[in-house]
Amino acid sequence: MKNAPTAEQVDGPLFKLALLGSLSWLTANQEEVNRLNVFPVPDGDTGTNMLLTLQSAVEDIRDSDAAEISKIAALAAHGSLMGARGNSGVILSQIFRGFAKHVQGKSALTPEELADALEEAANAAYRAVIKPTEGTILTVAREAGRAAKNAARQPDASVNTVIRAASRAAKTATDKTPTQLAILREAGVVDAGGFGLQVIFEGFLKTVEESEDAAPLPPVTAGRAAAAQRNLELPEEGWGYCTEFLIEGGGMNVGEIRDTIAGMGNSALVVGDEDLIRVHVHTNEPTAVLAYASGVGNLSRTKVDDMSKQHRVILQDEAEPESHRNGSQSKAAPTRPNGIGLVAVVAGGGLTEIFKGLGVDAVVEGGQTMNPSTQDMLKAVESAPYSEVILLPNNANVVLAAQQVLELTQKTVHLIPTHTVPQGIAAVVAFNPQKDATANLEAMKGALGQVQTIEVTHAVRDSRANGVAVKKGDVIALTNDKLKHSGGDYGSVVTLALKDLKPEEYELVTVYRGKGAGDKDLKVLTEAIGRDFPGLEVEVHDGGQQHYPFILSVE
Amino acid sequence: MTAASSTTRSSSASSNPALFKVVTDSTADLPRAWQERYGIEVVPLKVIFGQETFRDGVDLTNDQFFERLEGAQQLPTTSAPSPGDFAEVYGRLAKECDGVVSIHIGSNLSATCEAARLGAESVEGLDVRVVDSQSTTMTMAFLCRVAAESPDLETAVLRCEERVPKLGILALLDTMRYIQMGGRISKIQYLLGSMLDVKPLLKVEHGEIKPLDRTRTRARAIAGMVNRLQEEGPLESLAVMHGSAPEDADKLRAELAGAMPGMEIETGQIGAVLGTHTGPRALGLIYVKK
Repeated sequence: MKNAPTAEQVDGPLFKLALLGSLSWLTANQEEVNRLNVFPVPDGDTGTNMLLTLQSAVEDIRDSDAAEISKIAALAAHGSLMGARGNSGVILSQIFRGFAKHVQGKSALTPEELADALEEAANAAYRAVIKPTEGTILTVAREAGRAAKNAARQPDASVNTVIRAASRAAKTATDKTPTQLAILREAGVVDAGGFGLQVIFEGFLKTVEESEDAAPLPPVTAGRAAAAQRNLELPEEGWGYCTEFLIEGGGMNVGEIRDTIAGMGNSALVVGDEDLIRVHVHTNEPTAVLAYASGVGNLSRTKVDDMSKQHRVILQDEAEPESHRNGSQSKAAPTRPNGIGLVAVVAGGGLTEIFKGLGVDAVVEGGQTMNPSTQDMLKAVESAPYSEVILLPNNANVVLAAQQVLELTQKTVHLIPTHTVPQGIAAVVAFNPQKDATANLEAMKGALGQVQTIEVTHAVRDSRANGVAVKKGDVIALTNDKLKHSGGDYGSVVTLALKDLKPEEYELVTVYRGKGAGDKDLKVLTEAIGRDFPGLEVEVHDGGQQHYPFILSVE
Repeated sequence: MTAASSTTRSSSASSNPALFKVVTDSTADLPRAWQERYGIEVVPLKVIFGQETFRDGVDLTNDQFFERLEGAQQLPTTSAPSPGDFAEVYGRLAKECDGVVSIHIGSNLSATCEAARLGAESVEGLDVRVVDSQSTTMTMAFLCRVAAESPDLETAVLRCEERVPKLGILALLDTMRYIQMGGRISKIQYLLGSMLDVKPLLKVEHGEIKPLDRTRTRARAIAGMVNRLQEEGPLESLAVMHGSAPEDADKLRAELAGAMPGMEIETGQIGAVLGTHTGPRALGLIYVKK
């Protein structure tokens, strides 16, 4: 900040300021983004997801005074990947990743290079998504990239003109999203993820325009500034090099080695036994650490400054008991014959108990109202006492973030893209610890098709979706994630939803009761089912989920 | 008595074949007709409801038992016959024949085999061969039939021992509650502790209870049983057993008859001792592989 950056080039410090500016601008607009959710269900948190993803991106760069844009971009890419939440958040992380990859090795970007990087960022995001959908954040990223390229070709091109063009194109593209997606058109909103990206570009633009005048950074909220200050005092993630390796030797003194290495850096984790020790440390002097360690034993699997792996190792070290480390079996660890662990994303105390009761090793809090980050899921995967893990996101908006976990762990992770809690339960019920992964994945995926989900909640605003008009406060039912019915009370809406499912083909309705459902509500609901569908058995469990008074599983 | 008639048929093989009889326990769910035809002795295990002890299949009928089970505040417990119970039966038989094939519930499921061995030690002049079926219910009855139709004691024991590794049970429980209370669960621990009522499909083979699948609905679970049975290959004998679910057993039998034409399929009801561990509405496919 001392050398107010000119807008001739974007270097590390300016990029850092731009990201901080984007964060504060997105924070200011968070509610607006949330309001744009298509479905009038109370999980409209695209804005929160984008914000948390961006916060995580910025988290790692707050303490960095790197002069090179490549370093700042790499930190942002890593941070956003770890903190990615929701589909838009994951795509945002891929945009950062593409950007970082393109600017690798560069200390500053000319306007032309900046435009190239923005275009490449959008391309990378497209590549990362299996089925790219137009009219989403992807379209907005691409249009911004294109506009940046055009602006950079103009004779008077500057960083400002490039960013301004990108920002304007982002807005235009966002405004057009309803013409590309019928679902947006019907609901009368623009795409929330696209709008989020637009806001980020606007924040970027404000920053470069203000920095040109050497004006101070638009202040982030007081609370956030205080948090940043605390981070500076605790440079937990701020040590220069994440250094990790294995030491193989004989008769090594773990305690002594731990003390020595801990004195050379921060976040030191030195674990193992006299024959094999695993070291993870953040240090400014990796060569000194390695020199010391090579005097103790033979080094292997040495990694220095491997930022993409940094979080994983920390989490793994926290999660795994020491005895796992050198391959010896932990006595306390449960031993499942097939060596496969289960991790599920679940919200609600009752549902958590149900999943655990069915054999799930680790539960990630989240789902309908709060999408967990990639990092939350990674941590749970690492905590499962098995090297092979099946991951169940149990929510359509969590699937993409869960997908990222596969790249971040050395464990073999299989993702079963469950979209609802009943699907997750069906999959877990079908799990058999005697069978290998292939057989289990087939059985579990097969089970998804045998269960139908009805989620019951109240509309949070007037809306139209799937041809269903709803008023704020109406009881609405989503069948397999799609808004299908609305009405005045739980019983009649669920009866309509069940009728649509050909109830004669099913046997059992399991009702997971949420926090908002009273005893009377439950009675009305179960009596309606009993009266209208005498052939269906009804089982009631306390789910404890927020916002959805009832989730029904029909099988 | 009928075993004696078999010995006359085999007189060409042995100049003086010894008379032998077949003994089993109540968990064999031996059809009454077989018991009468072959003169098989059945030693009852015990079911204890609170202060009351009943001899399995003697003091209360199976239907009475299941009725009582469903209404019970506290689940019953079960116990093996005592060595004295066996000594009494063997002592009586010692006067009628020279040898006994005593076919019992698997030694890792019950202490019955051990009681039979101990009981035999106290009886003079009788050659008692205890066969650990490593199984239960109709698989034991199938062994009893094979033994009773054997020409002599040695052949009977041999034929039983050949078949023990080929015995199998596919059991569908309607609820986890009873097997959980019964404690025969070390291998199927993963199925337990759930608040959801899961219907487990178990396999009993080589004396072990193994979990196969768990499902939430009965229709799907029953379909799974038929598929699983077909994976077992050619069968020598087959039975459909149930605990107070005769309609489901009939349906299952009809389905199997269609899927396995020419196969003779027995049906029956499990007794109180097994019922205590499976709970009502359990369904079983009991088979001897070829």
